[in-house]
Amino acid sequence: MVVVMAKQNILSEKEQGEEIISSVGMIVTLISFAMLFATLMMGFAMFRFSAPVWPPAGMTKPSLIIPSLSTLLIFLSSLCYFWYEKNIANKKGLDLTIFLGLGFMVVQAVFWHTLSSQGIYVSSGIFPSIIYAFTWIHAAHIVVALSLLLWLRFSGATVKVKQAQLRVASVGKFWHFLGIVWFIMFLTIFVL
Amino acid sequence: MAFFEQHIHDAPKTFLSKYVISFDHKVIAKQFLWYGIIFLGIGGMMALMIRWTLAFPGEPFPVIGHFLFPNTNGVVPPDTYAMLFTLHGTIMIFYAITPILIGAFGNFCIPLMIGARDMVFPTLNMLSFWLAFLSAVLLLASLFTPLGGAAGGWVSYPTLSTTIGSPGVGQTLWCLAIFVLGVSSTMGAVNYIATIITLRAPGMGYFDMPLTVWGLWLTAILNALFLPVLGAGVMLLIFDRVFGTTFFLAGAAATSGSGDPVLFQHVFWIFGHPEVYILILPAWGIVSDLLSFFARKPAFGARSTALSMTSITILSTVVYGHHMYTTQMSPLLTQSFMMLTMTISIPSAVFFANWLGTIWKGAIRFSTPMLFSLGVVFVFGLGGLTGLYLATVSTDLYLHDTYFVVGHFHYTMAASVLLGGFAGTYFWFPKMFGRMMNETLGKIHFWISMLGLNGIFMGMMIVGYAGMHRRIYNPFVYEYLQKLIPINMFITISAITMGFGQLFFVYNFVNSLWNGPKASQNPWEVGTLEWTIPSPAPHYNFDIIPVVKCGPHEIGNPNLKGRDFQYQTEELA
Repeated sequence: MVVVMAKQNILSEKEQGEEIISSVGMIVTLISFAMLFATLMMGFAMFRFSAPVWPPAGMTKPSLIIPSLSTLLIFLSSLCYFWYEKNIANKKGLDLTIFLGLGFMVVQAVFWHTLSSQGIYVSSGIFPSIIYAFTWIHAAHIVVALSLLLWLRFSGATVKVKQAQLRVASVGKFWHFLGIVWFIMFLTIFVL
Repeated sequence: MAFFEQHIHDAPKTFLSKYVISFDHKVIAKQFLWYGIIFLGIGGMMALMIRWTLAFPGEPFPVIGHFLFPNTNGVVPPDTYAMLFTLHGTIMIFYAITPILIGAFGNFCIPLMIGARDMVFPTLNMLSFWLAFLSAVLLLASLFTPLGGAAGGWVSYPTLSTTIGSPGVGQTLWCLAIFVLGVSSTMGAVNYIATIITLRAPGMGYFDMPLTVWGLWLTAILNALFLPVLGAGVMLLIFDRVFGTTFFLAGAAATSGSGDPVLFQHVFWIFGHPEVYILILPAWGIVSDLLSFFARKPAFGARSTALSMTSITILSTVVYGHHMYTTQMSPLLTQSFMMLTMTISIPSAVFFANWLGTIWKGAIRFSTPMLFSLGVVFVFGLGGLTGLYLATVSTDLYLHDTYFVVGHFHYTMAASVLLGGFAGTYFWFPKMFGRMMNETLGKIHFWISMLGLNGIFMGMMIVGYAGMHRRIYNPFVYEYLQKLIPINMFITISAITMGFGQLFFVYNFVNSLWNGPKASQNPWEVGTLEWTIPSPAPHYNFDIIPVVKCGPHEIGNPNLKGRDFQYQTEELA
């Protein structure tokens, strides 16, 4: 009896350790990612505050309709993920998250297409450079996150419940993080 | 912090899983060590070419010159010269020092010294090495592009590094290589931080960690925070070069809405100043430990050494502006940066005094690792003090971009880090490979290196103070610099001497791998955890995870019987 108890204790301590490790690892990783985006935002701030008028060179800001749609989609996808995290046996939340995430990418592509059809290209000056480059970098991260979500979707059966929970939590942190980054970019570049 | 024991894996059997795609932190450390040593050779060769050009302009580089530069009869051409100093800086910083100090010692020492069986994410560790390898391939590939490798300086300031300054593919590949290396180092950093937080042996508080681990930990934190900043910078540079964005374009090149080349300098130095501490912190840690181990005394003020290293780490993030005094910064800003930079000398002085306190009245054993550690104390002292002249705005305006700067950062970043790296190599070689290195050859290596590098870098400071600028192909076309030809020849001869001195190391290292005398479990008689296991360390490190009961520097305690040190696993005598 005592032996069994001890074994259970060891197991739970091991699980506890795994949980701490995965959250420490993921948080440090996200801080690194945050520094990357913070650098971009710092560059943007520098251009923005040193320019006499913004947007510069007689440009106008792009219409808010499409970026707002992106914001809505990524916000809803994060909500769906929260729902999924509550009960990871039910994959419906994950499916919805992936669907909305793909939707976000489609809307971004439409956005880039609209810009270029208006004659605004990457090389048309600093403001389009910022819009294109920042959304590209964000989209590249979304692509990575989407593939992680797909990996979660199709690898779930083989791993233990505890491990699956840790994976879901880690990928979730990344997904919510990208949502926050998008919201900051939406607010600073498109709205303000 | 909850502790948990890692599972012992079976020893890998095939060549591929044992030496190539290895998940074992010790093998990855050795991979990084070889990687770094090879690049140290390449970067050193480049340095010799630069030095040759400066001392004997217009004369063919001896022996291999005719083979490398057939079009100019062996003389280093001007465009190649620019490429050489660019790649010398890049290679030495990112491909030699980083892999040796952080990749090799970080991987090797952290788990062994904190009593863990491996890094916490072995796969990430393996990926980190192979990404670094990919990055090296990209960098070396850039040499074979039509216009040659990057030639905009290791700082790659726009507009030298945009398509206006360097039209070739080489610069783009350089940016890509740095980006990939940044990802690799960040992966390593995440691994180190998480390992140290979660896998310390039971009983080991943060102040029971050896100072080596402290140094590596702080380095990893800076890496995780600031490499992404450089990543963002070079990524925007790649966008500028490849997709035609206008982030760093200025003037006529950016007629529609303006970019700003100075932005890159900000981004670069926000990363770049922490980077110099990223490079030096592991060396500081190693030296702080070794001084205590070989002076047979506890490290004087070990806690305050750790804390002053921490405060330097924090301060290092807010001083970057001192690299940019000449970019028309507002005087208010330059003075603030000057103040903050000067503040760094306080914690530096604290741990420097601790070093001296450690060796004060010690029963010093002058083994090779100790000689190299004492060398670090000397060259870092000198290098650190000359930094004050560069931190002061009024003197920096004169010294900016002269050889004084080159001398200063080589004293701190090259000489100190190199000597620290050698100290670590001689010290941990027995635990890495199970054999001892030859002491006599090691001492010859030390004295030649010490004389050589002081000749080089002291000479550089003198010519810099006399007004010789860096990055000039042939300074002696200017009349006022012609009197500096003899001292430049002296520097070059010192450099060649130092280059030859390294052959002693290479011979010693390679020869000792097979022919060195077998190392005992604890050849240096110190008490940290890695010396409680056999040499070389078995693949699982610790049979039973040790329980730590005292600090790492319990040496020379009068209560000890029979020997003058105690292991960290023993109750304090």
